[in-house]
Amino acid sequence: MPSKKSKTKLFILVIVPLITLLTGCEFMDIDKDVFVSMIGIDKSDEEDKPYKITLKLYVPTSSFKQSPEPQYTYITKSGETLSEAIRILETYSDKELEFGHAKLIVIGEDLLKEHKASEVMDFLLRRPDIQMISWIAAGRPSAEEIIKMVPQGENAAYPALFNYFDDIGNESQYIVTTYLFDFRRRMVEEGIDPILPIIEKNTSHFKINKSLVLVDKKEPHELPTLYTGIFNILSMNIQVADLIIKEEDGEGEAFIAKIDSMNSKHKVIVKNNNNIALEIEVRLTGYIAESKHPLKMKNLSYYNKLLEKVAKEKLTEFFSEMTSVGIDPIGFGIDYKSRTLHNKRMSSEEWKEAYKNAEIKIIIHPKLKSTGAIQ
Amino acid sequence: MSRYYYYLILINMVANVIASVPAILLHNHKNGSVSAMILAVVAGTILITIYTRFFIAFPGITLPDLLKKTTSKWFYNPFIFFLALMWFVAGLITLATFSFLLIRFLTPEMPLFQISLIIILSVIFGCLMRTERVLYTIELILLIVFPLILYIFFKAYSNESLEWDFVKEAALYVNQFPNIHSFSSCFFLFLGVVNLFIFNRFFTKKQNFNWKHITLIGFISTLNLFTTYFIPIGFNGFENIDELVYPWITTSDSLRMEFFMIERLLFVFLLFYLGIAFLSILIHWHVSFEFLKFVFNLEKIKFKGFKIGKYIPIPFFIGASLLLIGKLNEYQLLRYSNFFYDTLILFFPLLIILFIFIKRRMKYAKQEKQN
Repeated sequence: MPSKKSKTKLFILVIVPLITLLTGCEFMDIDKDVFVSMIGIDKSDEEDKPYKITLKLYVPTSSFKQSPEPQYTYITKSGETLSEAIRILETYSDKELEFGHAKLIVIGEDLLKEHKASEVMDFLLRRPDIQMISWIAAGRPSAEEIIKMVPQGENAAYPALFNYFDDIGNESQYIVTTYLFDFRRRMVEEGIDPILPIIEKNTSHFKINKSLVLVDKKEPHELPTLYTGIFNILSMNIQVADLIIKEEDGEGEAFIAKIDSMNSKHKVIVKNNNNIALEIEVRLTGYIAESKHPLKMKNLSYYNKLLEKVAKEKLTEFFSEMTSVGIDPIGFGIDYKSRTLHNKRMSSEEWKEAYKNAEIKIIIHPKLKSTGAIQ
Repeated sequence: MSRYYYYLILINMVANVIASVPAILLHNHKNGSVSAMILAVVAGTILITIYTRFFIAFPGITLPDLLKKTTSKWFYNPFIFFLALMWFVAGLITLATFSFLLIRFLTPEMPLFQISLIIILSVIFGCLMRTERVLYTIELILLIVFPLILYIFFKAYSNESLEWDFVKEAALYVNQFPNIHSFSSCFFLFLGVVNLFIFNRFFTKKQNFNWKHITLIGFISTLNLFTTYFIPIGFNGFENIDELVYPWITTSDSLRMEFFMIERLLFVFLLFYLGIAFLSILIHWHVSFEFLKFVFNLEKIKFKGFKIGKYIPIPFFIGASLLLIGKLNEYQLLRYSNFFYDTLILFFPLLIILFIFIKRRMKYAKQEKQN
């Protein structure tokens, strides 16, 4: 057994070399970093440099009181590849570009129309510092214009655009939220199509109420506001939704059903000869928020019938458009795959054909519970 | 059974969630991974039962001691040296995987050499401890880390973005012939029990092991395998899941905590797993150290009155692991660890023959003593 003294010696002998490892901060300090808040990717006008990247950078300030207004700088560069553009962009800034805090990626509409989404996605996924939980959206007319806009009433540290997507600020039924990982799996998987919100701009604010479904080798299909809302109801992305209910003759009831709880299920029923039926079951629970005429409590069951009729019409319209164009943002394709053994499935061409001719069955369970605070 | 026994099994299972096991499984997602997993649960549980039963019969005695009593020197010395090498490689795989992970995601500016050296030094400090202290360390770190890892699993299961259709699609590939590589990597998850070769020293009291314990282990392992394989599929889709190099890293990056200080769960996940990986390397290398001590009688080597014996393997461990980590790339690491796992499915069941032999000899020795 070594004596106590030699033990101390040994301890010092081990500890002193270890101290040399603690040579202070070799890594980049926070004041040598500049944080990217959004990434915009566009198609550029130059022929040989197809990609144009715009970065929105936070301008560091020492305290909030000093600059209550939001401050950003923007840098833009075109390149043959995305990485090349970023390499050049790094020379535009005196600090290291830090992508780890970029929460929104905007892709220009023109780039999406040219089917460049998969190349863009490859770049975004291969970099380990870009978050898989960042949101992805389409910019109209271009990503650059969307990124460079600062709307009125924006907070200093939190760009207004984030509030649209983060489920805590804005909860509108017309905003589709797509995370990068969700976008990836929809892109690479057959049987579910990627859907992106479209960010448009007005003079002083943004407008996000449409969405874009990307299709292989075809023009991306735009979903108008109403269909975007229906998509959100069906995918249960939202908590609250309004539905306008009108009887056909102008004299009848016209009210707005506020749905505060919804549940939707979908499944594929396979019949023989590669014929399929899509069954959608939606449960809508809520109350009446606005009406043209006075309502009667005892007529609630009649109002429910109206709701069922209108919802059925709208959903049928929605699905007949989806099937006729051949797009599948809800994911019936993967539902089919999850029900049939892999060696007994129809091929993807057969499935596409079957989907186009699918029969649509819609079951609505309307549950209007009240007429609101007044009759 | 003593709770320390479960730690040994649990750590091997959980540590490999992040290492190469899910990558191998997901690589063969269309070639019989699911059936291999089911088979591995059955085979693994049987193996655990046999090994535990064997060591319960000899409370407090390690495998080297048993071999010394029952076999001759020409057999047990090379054999135990071989075991020491094996355990070293097992630890090295975890170490290399984790060093690669850290450099990719946590500290991209740090040299790989430095990252691995820091892990190695802290592990080796632990390896030199006595066996029971190693177990206490394991308990301490597990107590801190494990609830948080369970919380992350809970977050994953309760996430709305988890698409069960993908999971069902993957599960339907069950009607295929089991894939050998998938089977061997799953089987490796169950091999935590073989650390009893040395750790049996700690279990000096006669333990009780019956079907209740077996069911519990079977249940935990099934749950663990299910999470390992299906959660990444639920988040990343089925068709192209094999293109992900680190499936679980991508998956944990897909989780979002809206109301926590850190929104991106990836870093929390990485840090917790650093703890688990540390424990896994610690256990493997401790066993390896003990084997080496036994083979070369390291305890007896003295230099000017100091017992320096147990420090002799350290430079070899550091040198070999740094050299290999510097040389390997990610693809080679995956292939070699795959090969390593493949050899294990032959080796450990074959050891049972040796156990039967030892048991008979010990019985014979006991009878002779009584006469």
